[in-house]
Amino acid sequence: MGVPEIEEARVLLIFGYNGADSHPIVARRILRARQKGAKIICVDPRVTETARISDIHMQLKGGSNMALVNAMAHVIIEEGLCDEEFIARHTTGYEELKTFVERYTPEYGEEISHVPADTIREAARLYAKGEPSMILYGMGVCQFSQAVDVVKGLANLALMTGNFGKPGCGIGPVRGQNNVQGACDMGALPNSYPGYQNVTIPEVREKFEKAWGVPLSDHVGIPMTHVPDRVLKEKDPMKQIHAYYVFGEDPAQSDPDLAEVREALEKVDFLIVQDIFMNRTATYADVILPATSWGEHEGVFTCCDRGFQRFRKFIEPEGDVKDDWEIISLISTAMGYPMHYENTEEIWNEMIDLCPSYTGATYEKLEKYGGVQWPCRSKDMEDKGTPYLHKDGNFANPDGKGKFFCADWRPPKELENDEYPMVLSTVREVGHYSSRTMTGNCRTLRSLEDEPGWAQMNVEDCRELGVEEGELVKVLSKRGYCITRCMPTERVPKGSVFMTYQWWIGACNKLTTAHLDPVSNTPEYKYCACKVKKIEDQKWAEKHVREEYAEIRSKMGIQAAKEGYAL
Amino acid sequence: MNYFVKGNPDLCIGCRTCMIGCVVAHEGLHIFEIDPDSYTFNPRLKVIKTARITVPVQCKHCENPACMAVCPENCIQLVENAVVINTDKCIGCKTCMMACPYGAIEMQPDSGHRVQTDGSPRMVANKCDLCINSKRGPECVRVCPTEALTLVTEEDLEKENAKKRIAAARALAEVNG
Repeated sequence: MGVPEIEEARVLLIFGYNGADSHPIVARRILRARQKGAKIICVDPRVTETARISDIHMQLKGGSNMALVNAMAHVIIEEGLCDEEFIARHTTGYEELKTFVERYTPEYGEEISHVPADTIREAARLYAKGEPSMILYGMGVCQFSQAVDVVKGLANLALMTGNFGKPGCGIGPVRGQNNVQGACDMGALPNSYPGYQNVTIPEVREKFEKAWGVPLSDHVGIPMTHVPDRVLKEKDPMKQIHAYYVFGEDPAQSDPDLAEVREALEKVDFLIVQDIFMNRTATYADVILPATSWGEHEGVFTCCDRGFQRFRKFIEPEGDVKDDWEIISLISTAMGYPMHYENTEEIWNEMIDLCPSYTGATYEKLEKYGGVQWPCRSKDMEDKGTPYLHKDGNFANPDGKGKFFCADWRPPKELENDEYPMVLSTVREVGHYSSRTMTGNCRTLRSLEDEPGWAQMNVEDCRELGVEEGELVKVLSKRGYCITRCMPTERVPKGSVFMTYQWWIGACNKLTTAHLDPVSNTPEYKYCACKVKKIEDQKWAEKHVREEYAEIRSKMGIQAAKEGYAL
Repeated sequence: MNYFVKGNPDLCIGCRTCMIGCVVAHEGLHIFEIDPDSYTFNPRLKVIKTARITVPVQCKHCENPACMAVCPENCIQLVENAVVINTDKCIGCKTCMMACPYGAIEMQPDSGHRVQTDGSPRMVANKCDLCINSKRGPECVRVCPTEALTLVTEEDLEKENAKKRIAAARALAEVNG
């Protein structure tokens, strides 16, 4: 499926994905689908912009995704809404799943998710009867300690209703960041070379060794989220991390449990940061390598729908900056492996020839067709890529069949307790992108929203605490605290706090936990126990925020605004 | 009849591009200057979010504007189908702000960064002017990514009304038949 196909779906099941804040351009497609008559089911603990316009809003309790998905499967099976023919021809494991979800009655689902059993029934029926139905999911699925299971659970729903391999259906991960799909495609993962070719497969390793003329490791590397442990806790010097090269990331802002991350950044022997502007991580760096920004260089991005697209330079870079690939080439050469390329096309050609699933995606085709969705295996101009990964119900398993998957619901790792009775979930806000290394430098966006950000809380919780809109409050967890402004809203349920993670002072990642999904190693950003405290001396708090902001800015060499911060 | 910009809550995603567009339309290239005092951030419309509604709110350009009626300095006038404040003459008395039933008028620093004799910023009444100085029309309408904003003209209102009257006539016929 491709992003434009959202408009062709008749039913959209939007699970843990807030398009309006994360990707307004995708949100526009959702609106168009609705204008064309599509029904919308929104699964989100908050009343998001999508929830507001949905036909069914399942306002679930955070951390209950798997129970809700299993309960939906239960209803679809029990009410005979499955696509029996598709199941028989294209899947395996259906009988096991059928037995497995027997106990996930809508009533049991309600107990865990707090979504009324009848709403679960209604949603399951609507999804199953859609011709076609499409699933979109986002970080509300991926940023839990039970994440990969839920993705497979959603795939169960699509499999049992035959919603695969044809226009307007399927299951769409709407990725968290621009080109994060491209980073994975290019092997920026600990376990694979470009094209998802596993480092542990000898033939793959040999192929790359031959192409690059060097011996390569057959060991899976370590995920980024394990770095603090390997710096701070690892006793074996051979396993310790001594040098850390951070490139287009801001772990000192965006990783969970910032106190630990920042300690690791301080203790690691050597830290290189390559970025376009100063950020929090760069303040810990031994060396900063200034790179060109997306308007100053060219290359290829991959969209979340596997579509490769060229992007082009539109201004000449100024000052002492270089393209990322040039910096990498220079460092590699200095380290004894001479690397030289004339342009990005030369790099691209080397890469696609080593990756069977990308071989046909030449610059010529990207130019001519505007984009190519991988797999694209042949250089023949007729091979225009693969809009449907599982076309006609053919799946990537050896038997060509889609496999049903059974997983029980597991609760989040850190639950509310007497000391920390509320749940913190980190989210996005439109206007500031990721850790705002870019958007924080845009003056109008900074005027719209600036430090210390907001904690969205239910109106009643705010009343009980005696705090009003705009008041500075302290948000605390077992790991730390930060100061931010209170935003009372009826859009969030009682007992929960929602914060965006880009603020330096209102840094909610000081509070989050480093509990990871066992497969993806993605942290549980969407759930940790916290509490909110009123600050009696607001004058002191305002002054504190102003001073801290000025201090961080001066540390980053940013010219201080007159009042310390905007507005 | 005066024109106005109407927001559609079914299409609004609360992104506030309209607010940024408004500032850019009225401040021009000043937004690129390094000096923080070189521009004023005064969006003339505000995106409002309630439990179930998201939509920008701005001046309705009333036919008999309360703001105009109460202004002691006569600085609010009808210009090209719009109610416009002459900020040069505004004394910042806030009367229009209180009179407006839509909360569409705010006191903001003068966008020319003019100061008073004691050096303090000159505060003036500020509201939507339908971008009458721009050939492109209201910037909020132009920049909205979901086409949630439309400029409503006299002709549009008439057309809509004509349609409603036809529908009403049909309904009447059904009742009588």
